[in-house]
Amino acid sequence: MPPQPAIEARQLRKTYITTRGVLRRERVNRVALRGVDLAIPHSELFGLLGPNGAGKTTMVKIFTTLLLPTSGTARVLGLDALKEQWALRRRIGFVFGGERGLYWRLSGLDNLRYFADLYRIPPEVSRLRIPELLERLGLAGRERDRVELYSRGMKQRLHLARGLLNDPEVLFLDEPTIGLDPVGARELRLIVRELADAGTTIFLTTHYMFEADAICDRIAVIKDGGIVAEGTPNSIKTLVQDQGVVEFEVVGMPVERLAGLRDLPGVKSVAVSEHELAQVVTVHCARPAELMTQLGVILDGINLQKVSSREPTLEDAYVQLIGDAQ
Amino acid sequence: MKSLARAAFSAFRLSIRLRVISPWSYLNWLLFPLLFAAVGLYVLSGPGTVSSHLVYGVLGGGLIGYWSVTYIDAGNSIQDERWNGTLEQIFATPTPLSVIILGKVSGGLLFGLLAFVPTAALAFFGFHAELPALDPSRFVISLAILTFSFLSIALTLTPLFALWRWAFSMLNGFELGVYVLCGFMFPVAVLATWAQGVASVLGPTWAVRAIYASTVAGGPHDFAVWWAAAVGLSLLYLVVGYFLYALVEREARRSGELALA
Repeated sequence: MPPQPAIEARQLRKTYITTRGVLRRERVNRVALRGVDLAIPHSELFGLLGPNGAGKTTMVKIFTTLLLPTSGTARVLGLDALKEQWALRRRIGFVFGGERGLYWRLSGLDNLRYFADLYRIPPEVSRLRIPELLERLGLAGRERDRVELYSRGMKQRLHLARGLLNDPEVLFLDEPTIGLDPVGARELRLIVRELADAGTTIFLTTHYMFEADAICDRIAVIKDGGIVAEGTPNSIKTLVQDQGVVEFEVVGMPVERLAGLRDLPGVKSVAVSEHELAQVVTVHCARPAELMTQLGVILDGINLQKVSSREPTLEDAYVQLIGDAQ
Repeated sequence: MKSLARAAFSAFRLSIRLRVISPWSYLNWLLFPLLFAAVGLYVLSGPGTVSSHLVYGVLGGGLIGYWSVTYIDAGNSIQDERWNGTLEQIFATPTPLSVIILGKVSGGLLFGLLAFVPTAALAFFGFHAELPALDPSRFVISLAILTFSFLSIALTLTPLFALWRWAFSMLNGFELGVYVLCGFMFPVAVLATWAQGVASVLGPTWAVRAIYASTVAGGPHDFAVWWAAAVGLSLLYLVVGYFLYALVEREARRSGELALA
């Protein structure tokens, strides 16, 4: 008999029922999850990727017992997240991204002591664990400062300390690096990876591809409430391995030339982003070498500043998956 | 059980800390009761008024402050938790919401009792009003029962504020209604018959009646009946509250209403 997954969802559905209108109220159903199946083994660092509104946070809230699904089952550590919430809450931790969720006018230490009591941790345990977490997360020495004086990175590390107070077997992280500076985000990713290496099962949601690529053992891509791909970062990348990416920077490229580019054989997608006065054009295509030779014709008379070709990344795979799902 | 008691005490301590550093809480326990007491004492100490009614001026402001801090702060604290993003955090802990709210409301009750200090001082020093016929033991018992009554109402209604963000606005008027219906500043007997009927199902009405009776000599006083009515009604609210918490726990998880967004 295979071991029970740490986190498991079967045909998980969630529909939010809201109303709109003032005089004539109209009931609106918004489907957040459409029958999601997932199984995450113990000690895995699992990443859930998806655009805003895809259903990532809804899934985290169901697993952390904050939300009830409309149908389907959600189990964490073998416990039913719908019915066995009291037993489950003692064994899991969660961290939501952003600065809210802390008592800003109290010190970091007061915040941790309060949540330690709400997690019903014996005082003799919390007395040891809180200083240990403060030290580990680089907050020692600032624990008596009010949270409102903390930097964003410190607040996020305090969130993580709160999420680790009960020494959880499973930790849910919902976009934990959102809004952090690159150094702060990198530090947090290292800590998360260390936790996973130490045996904690981690469920991470993010829309930073490099983050998922760097630290996750396995990932799934969610779009409009449904999983569209699942596997290791490398296996997801193989979805676009037959493709290459050509990027070039031009000034003043007419729209009709772009259309011509899209019509070239082997071109999968063309994305344009503005970079100061220039346009950066990213082309996903089947045969990059051939495209490079054709570029000369397409871009004839246009101020071409630089051109490069590279291997597809997880982000390229993600963009294609999300695009395909649309 | 021990860990739940510790969680409730922690919520109590947190609510006290947050009140101490919040300038707004001083309005509720200091300024507003003083205003009510000053007006009451001025009116009731004027020529042509019944001298025994002066006691409403002495204690009325304090009672209003006590109720106001307990009820309004209980509601506000839930709204604050929502705005801070901590409502979901506390909801998802292994401590039931009722235990956390019990701690927070208890903090409000302790702070609310402070309202009697400035109002009594104003009565004594500003209007030379005293309570010569005060029966201390009956007064203390009645005040304790009033405290239980306030606790039961706040404890029962607060989960509704957690579930529906509009509920507190809707029930704001309840604060004023209790001032009037429960006879904080004048006897309930002066109200219309229908209003007296409504007042009779409010636990604080009976406790407040007992409080005022304990300051006045003579009778007829029926403390046992008043105390029993206040305690019985408060217990009834708690039974309703028990089911309400189960409902709120389920509905909050169904609708996702604890988050701001």
